Amino acid sequence: MPPTGAPEVRGLPLSVRALKVAAPDGRVLLSLPELDLAPGTSLAVRGPSGAGKSTLLHALAGLTEAEGQVRWGETDLTALPPAGRAAFRRACVGLVFQDFLLFEELGAEANAALAAGFAPPAQRAAIRDRARGALARLGLGGASGRAASSFSGGERQRIAIARALAHDPAVILADEPTASLDRASADRLIDDLVALARTEGRTLIVVSHDAALSDRLDRSIRIVDGRMQEAGDD
Amino acid sequence: MTDLALFWTGLPADLQDALIALGLLCPGLLAGIIVLHGLAPWPLIRAMLGRFGLANVVFVGLIAVAVGIGVGLTAQERGLRQGSARAAEKFDLVVGTPGSEITLMLATVYLQPSDVPLINGPQFAEIAATDRVVMAAPIAFGDSHNGAPVIGTTAEFVTHLSGGLAAGRIFQTADEAVAGAYAPLGIGAAFTPSHGHGPATETDAHQGFAYTVTGRMPPTGSPWDRALIVPVEGVWAVHGLADGHAPENAGRIGAPFDPDYFPGTPAVLVRAEALWANYALKSRFTRPDMMAFFPGTVLAQLHAIMGDVRAAMSLLAVVTQVLVTVAVLAGLMILMRIFARGLALLRAVGAPVRYVFAVVWGYSALLIVAGALAGMGVGMIAAALLSRIVTARTDVLVSASLGWPELHLVAGFVSLTLLLALLPAWLAVCRPLIPDLRA
Repeated sequence: MPPTGAPEVRGLPLSVRALKVAAPDGRVLLSLPELDLAPGTSLAVRGPSGAGKSTLLHALAGLTEAEGQVRWGETDLTALPPAGRAAFRRACVGLVFQDFLLFEELGAEANAALAAGFAPPAQRAAIRDRARGALARLGLGGASGRAASSFSGGERQRIAIARALAHDPAVILADEPTASLDRASADRLIDDLVALARTEGRTLIVVSHDAALSDRLDRSIRIVDGRMQEAGDD
Repeated sequence: MTDLALFWTGLPADLQDALIALGLLCPGLLAGIIVLHGLAPWPLIRAMLGRFGLANVVFVGLIAVAVGIGVGLTAQERGLRQGSARAAEKFDLVVGTPGSEITLMLATVYLQPSDVPLINGPQFAEIAATDRVVMAAPIAFGDSHNGAPVIGTTAEFVTHLSGGLAAGRIFQTADEAVAGAYAPLGIGAAFTPSHGHGPATETDAHQGFAYTVTGRMPPTGSPWDRALIVPVEGVWAVHGLADGHAPENAGRIGAPFDPDYFPGTPAVLVRAEALWANYALKSRFTRPDMMAFFPGTVLAQLHAIMGDVRAAMSLLAVVTQVLVTVAVLAGLMILMRIFARGLALLRAVGAPVRYVFAVVWGYSALLIVAGALAGMGVGMIAAALLSRIVTARTDVLVSASLGWPELHLVAGFVSLTLLLALLPAWLAVCRPLIPDLRA
């Protein structure tokens, strides 16, 4: 269940139209005429470094100003002010970053339940419960009090995934989640991430250099020089 | 007077002070309530405290020292005022020859060496014989022993000043003495006075004459605690003067004095039978050949003159505190750059700007409040140390403790700096999100 009062967005379709993201100097970083994604599906976004993959992810999360349309269900992110986009992320989006971005001094559970700090008081307990549950499913249930800095790279990324799931988002956006991990850890992490997204009907978009990732997700696109190619264009 | 003013003046002083402190704190508290309402930033504030442990200690230490100096100085200044007033309490009315009241007050109450003209025999006799005068004690100074002033007066005044000896008995002959509570001689010790004080002391001037200590006064909290008090007749005798009594009364000490054999005294301490009568006596002895003054009034005038200095000192203390806090807040802004990625993460995961603001402000507020509280401790220690030093140097018992004025100072400081802390919080949320996230 999403947090009380938050819109029910799980299963919302993604519809991107004429998306354009430009640098402050006017240079076009990303130009995406059209992208549609059915709710609950997973998408791999691949491409070389600097191609615009992360920029696409930021635009889909409403982290950056963009032209065009990024519509999640009925919500057009590009039409919202920054505070509105933040509210949408708060309710509907779980983010995972390449280098975890954990608060090293806090315990695993405190990191995973980060959203409890700014959620309405009535929702905080539920967020903490879900954070504990996610940590347990990711194999970290017995170490939730340990400082994040004491975990290995793979474990820290699991904490980051638990954080992305704690507020029960409809969409998980992961930016190079396996880049800092060895092959075995990366495979296990992606398996867990995909399983968690699928079993709970969440939409999953993963940006990665990793070619092996495409096999695990429903669909794959490539971004080259800020433009999209379907995976078949490889 | 309005109803509100009447209500206010009707309140107990402590309640007024508490309300003033609350009023001073209000802006800061209000900012805190508005910023933190409905949010739970404490885990992240804890993370920031852990991340910047050493910097936190330095910042809290700087604020504590700045607050402590301000608080300590103001407490000390008040303690000095109270101590100096307490030291003058027993000196109801001082009569001397026209000149500087301040000089004569410093000489008689605080035993600061000075050279002043003398009240002569007829003048003294007139003072002593005036209606409603219950005590007229000559106070003669100018000699010393091992740095302790040797003061000539009467047994009556010693009893008035000390309220009775702590040990031994009062002097009964011209060569006996009573030691102040902290004077460097014990009962039974003998000493030869030196002429003058300090570097100009003539140690051999009174050779052949010795006083024997017969009693010790309890502490009075005044410079008289370090003095050796002798019969005024002894002072006159060692200077080769008449002893204040006619030959047929040779060897007598204390009142009445014979005007014809009265060598003169720099000051006369006068006590009236009632408080109101002191005013009449002051008026009577304020004339071309004499001056009379209340040491307490002169002291109050001195304090009033120093009032501007005190206000300037308080202002400087506050400015110093604010400057240190501004420096600390500038340091916090630098720390926020280090923590910028964490704050960007918060915004990326959807934290409202208000929450990020609350984290940064709450962190700053915690350092400020911790620094202010520690500063009060530093202030108490500083005030106690300064009190000891001032007491040792002036012999005026100064006991400085933190009171409402210091609490008001700290409350005002905390409130002001909590408001100033809104600035780094605002700057932190104005930082660009994507560059910070990628940093």
